Amino acid sequence: MSKADPILRVRDLTARIVTRKETFQAVRGISFDIGAGEAVGFVGESGCGKSVTARALMRLAPEGTAIALDGAVDFHGQDLLRLGEVAMRDIRGRRIAMVFQDPMTSLNPVMSIGAQIDDIVCRHMGLSRREARQRTVELLASVGIPDAAHRADDYPHQFSGGMRQRVLIAVAISCDPELLIADEPTTALDVTVQAQILRLLLRLRDERGMSLMLITHDFGVVAGMVERVNVMYGGEIVEAGPVEQVFHAPGHAYTRALLDAVPRLDSAGQKQ
Amino acid sequence: MRRMVIARLAWTVAILLGVSFVAFMLVRALPGDFVQTSAGAQNVASDVLEAARRELGLDRPLLEQYLIWLGNAVRGDFGYSFVTRQPVVGEILPRFVVTFQLTLIAGLIAMAMGVATGLASARLRGRADWIVRLYNGFILAVPNFVVATLIVLVVGLYFPQIAIFNYTPFFTDPLANIGGLLLPALSLALAVSVTISENTRAAVLEVSGQDFVMVARAKGLLPRTVLANYLMRNALTPIVTVTGLQVATLLGGSILVETIFAIPGMGQYLFDSITSRDYPVIQAIVLLASAVVVIVNMFVDIAYARIDARAQS
Ligand SMILES: Nc1ncnc2c1ncn2[C@@H]1O[C@H](COP(=O)(O)OP(=O)(O)OP(=O)(O)O)[C@@H](O)[C@H]1O
Ligand SMILES: [Mg+2]
Repeated sequence: MSKADPILRVRDLTARIVTRKETFQAVRGISFDIGAGEAVGFVGESGCGKSVTARALMRLAPEGTAIALDGAVDFHGQDLLRLGEVAMRDIRGRRIAMVFQDPMTSLNPVMSIGAQIDDIVCRHMGLSRREARQRTVELLASVGIPDAAHRADDYPHQFSGGMRQRVLIAVAISCDPELLIADEPTTALDVTVQAQILRLLLRLRDERGMSLMLITHDFGVVAGMVERVNVMYGGEIVEAGPVEQVFHAPGHAYTRALLDAVPRLDSAGQKQ
Repeated sequence: MRRMVIARLAWTVAILLGVSFVAFMLVRALPGDFVQTSAGAQNVASDVLEAARRELGLDRPLLEQYLIWLGNAVRGDFGYSFVTRQPVVGEILPRFVVTFQLTLIAGLIAMAMGVATGLASARLRGRADWIVRLYNGFILAVPNFVVATLIVLVVGLYFPQIAIFNYTPFFTDPLANIGGLLLPALSLALAVSVTISENTRAAVLEVSGQDFVMVARAKGLLPRTVLANYLMRNALTPIVTVTGLQVATLLGGSILVETIFAIPGMGQYLFDSITSRDYPVIQAIVLLASAVVVIVNMFVDIAYARIDARAQS
């Protein structure tokens, strides 16, 4: 768990969103590392390029959007930006997985919950249908879905928002990825459920020893969860460092403004 | 699921009752009844006409006539044609089979073409999209009897070896039968395929932008899995719906196309029956056609529930 052996080394990553009228630079040359088993936070206001960065690591873009990527994303010594699409497909879901922001729209409404985990397990682990289902049920149980064997045949509309996010986490961890990217995994959930989901993510990281890239716009969320934090603003990383340092001695004016926006339940003494 | 099927069946029966009643009243509201029409311009004594009406039961109150007809129809007896004096069922059935075949082939062609072009234009975008939309707009602007006539002209002029007006009964030579129906079916299918194509395109574009499609790609699934299980399965509901609704269009269009291609289906027969006011025949054709439409739409609803679990509740 040190910076000595990063599994992911991002250098000068830029992402330009190309539309017919103009090119918009959403990510402007950012560099960061993620170590094995390390949890790294990405904090920044809405629209600062967090999601574009996360998707760039997996070379994903929304349908109909053309994104030009530049720089280097070094994952275990291979540059993901220069990898062929077929090889990239073997990495997605298998070695780098992602949990998205909105659990209400991230599950396929016409497939059963179980089938949506079976398919990724079958794809990457070469299991038979029956073995895959067995693994699916274990996964659902491990993310805290009660009566998993039966609930696997349910459809998304029969699950609450919190349960759906648990399902999406089960999807993401299903093939034991080395890196889990969680893009604002709790934004769409209510406060009590948010804490449960965050605890679940932390527990899974500890149990499985995966690295975690936790994206949020809420400093309060990363505080207790990650070792290091990167503060993003306008497509750039404006401040980076161990979470205590950034928290207690923010060096950048923008970071201070972000910290001021965090509602404090405890004493105000933490602020300098 | 079973409750839903039963409910749909009850609904179907109610619709067919309503349709048969309206059709019954409408044909009798046409000026001149069968007796008068067959007398034509000849001068026939009114007591002779009255006797003929009495014989056919046309002198009774309308409601009573309807109930008698309904009572028989429920038992599968649709009466005798006023014109040929033959049982209606025996007259209609062979013609119905022809129309049904034509509509079925046209439906399959429309579905295949519509889904293929709609999918291509939504997935490939760019030039493919542009071409498909232009073609769709063009076909939509041309009525299908014009398309049918054009096909007859073009094939007749440039491909004289293809016999266009050569209807072969299915049991004489099934291949020749289907082959002979292809051109008429194509001219019937074009307009409908455009509707299906436009709807497929819209549905696929709508689904492509959904989050779960990106989740599917983030799982590393193969493109064909994403296309089949995530894109198409969600786009299918609207596609199936429009296809079901187009069955009525196909049946209606088949009447014209049958006339143009000289196919001995229900179309020409319905036209003749209306002209001669052959009530029992009109009545049976209307009932049969609406039964087909209603039953197809019942299957559409059932397919719906099979595709999408949310529709079952
Ligand atoms: N498909 C797209 N087309 C055009 N612009 C886009 C697209 N996706 C993102 N952008 C732009 O890129 C910038 C960064 O977007 P991004 O989604 O990464 O923000 P974010 O930091 O994740 O914000 P949030 O906290 O709201 O999720 C924004 O200014 C946004 O308008
Ligand atoms: Mg975002």
